[in-house]
Amino acid sequence: MLVLFLIFRIFPSLGAAGMSLTNWNIGGEWEFTGLDNYARMLDDPTFWISLKTTLVYVAVYVPMTVLFSLGTALLLNAVVTMRGLWRGMLFLPYVTSFVLAGVIWRWIYEYNGLINGLLAKLDLGPVMFLERSELVLPALALVSAWKGFGYSMLILLAGLKAIPGSYLEAARVDGASAWQRFRSIVLPLLKPALFFVLVIETISGFQVFDTIYVMTGGGPARASYTLIYAIYDKGFRGFEFGYAAAFGMVLFAIILIVSLIQRRLLGRENT
Amino acid sequence: MTITDSRPAVRQANTPAARPRRAGRSWPLVALLAVLSVLTVSPFVAMFIVALSPAGEPTVPGGWPSRLTLDNMLQVLETSGFLEWTANSAIYSVVSVVIILITASMAGYAFAKKRFPGRDAVLWTFLATMMVPFQATLIPTYVLVSDLGGVDTFWGLIVPTLANSQAVFLMRQFILGLPDELFDAAKVDGASELRIYWTIVVPLTKPILATLGVFVFLWHWNDFLWPLVIGQSDATRTLTVGLTILRTEEMQITLLMASAAITVLPCLLVFFLLQRYLVNSIAMTGLK
Repeated sequence: MLVLFLIFRIFPSLGAAGMSLTNWNIGGEWEFTGLDNYARMLDDPTFWISLKTTLVYVAVYVPMTVLFSLGTALLLNAVVTMRGLWRGMLFLPYVTSFVLAGVIWRWIYEYNGLINGLLAKLDLGPVMFLERSELVLPALALVSAWKGFGYSMLILLAGLKAIPGSYLEAARVDGASAWQRFRSIVLPLLKPALFFVLVIETISGFQVFDTIYVMTGGGPARASYTLIYAIYDKGFRGFEFGYAAAFGMVLFAIILIVSLIQRRLLGRENT
Repeated sequence: MTITDSRPAVRQANTPAARPRRAGRSWPLVALLAVLSVLTVSPFVAMFIVALSPAGEPTVPGGWPSRLTLDNMLQVLETSGFLEWTANSAIYSVVSVVIILITASMAGYAFAKKRFPGRDAVLWTFLATMMVPFQATLIPTYVLVSDLGGVDTFWGLIVPTLANSQAVFLMRQFILGLPDELFDAAKVDGASELRIYWTIVVPLTKPILATLGVFVFLWHWNDFLWPLVIGQSDATRTLTVGLTILRTEEMQITLLMASAAITVLPCLLVFFLLQRYLVNSIAMTGLK
């Protein structure tokens, strides 16, 4: 087991750093080129596009999925009638794959697809969600949010369940409105769970790949060309392994920063 | 609310179920939740309707099929490669589940209850690898496996995914909670390490092993990026990768949805059999 880790987790982690300093290519020949890959990256419009695309995607995806999961968790917490059924239905997409989500939703967004078919009945549309550069990232974010929110919903639901009913009852007796109870009791007590959800969803936002591969291939005109898509594209289409590894290091750095911010904020929370 | 009304409510609030029972039947909330739930599953419903529609007939969203048929599914199964991909996905998932459960519980036991030099340093290194996203090490892992001749082989597909620090950490945390006396007593009785593992660790960790097994199965069955780069022919290609190939071929939508429906069946099976279990374990263990 230890050997396995050494070979397949630790070695590649170090290897990624080392490799990003070389011009490794398909033939396996390489020479040490120092920081050339990083210098090239700064001059490479593709890099800046992929970085910007990823950040925009995360900025759309995270609020969307947190809103979905918080909203459904609050509803599930408030409703008793057939709660198990609703919870199951809302959680269902989580057990499927992003590839499947991509295949289904590509059809849903298509010219002859579900949404445009329904729009046509209302004499509206068609809206080409995946072919318009301003719509493609929100459309992709919606697919990932749909597929993934069930997990965060359960985390938040567990957080809500942990809030003692007597607190809320006391506030109700004191005449606090539903919004006041939410703002001054539920939200502060839910903060750790909410924060956890925020961080893991941010990280999974940065890791988006499968849906993009299936639905857009990075298009239209690189409007959905994210960092991981760049790693795949540079590595397995361009066969520039060294350069692709450098993209991987950037991804790692970003996720590390997100995790460190989380540590810092959580630490402050505890003191 | 008058004072006489609220008093019994305060007393009731001490029992956790009391409050929601009163508020939890408010029908606008139930209706809203029902609408959201139906919307959430509607893509699956639409997929199954299209998958079961006879070819050439109008189907959703343009109309309703006159009857439902399994013809598309049967035709997909005859598509070249499809059965092979399914078998590959099954091998990838099941073999990984078995090996990860064994190695993670052994390693978890060692980290939790054994003393050996450098244990904590090794554990922290394990944990540190959880911070490195797999995609960031995709290229070096691929080059390594490729140099070892693992491209387009099952071991190349499976072995790198076995180094799962999340699984080891979960097992360690769980075994840490088992009383030391149990292990001391067994040692006094002269039980071998393997015997301790098999007669104490495995039976006592059964619930967590089952949970972990379900998650590992789903992770592997749904995995995409690694199988995509490693499985370069039908011999090792998995179902998720195969599905993207079918997608790019100009396939009839009924057939494409039928293929999609088949790939999701094992997930649905797991879901319907173990839903309650999955739901509880996410809240308890934070597995993702």
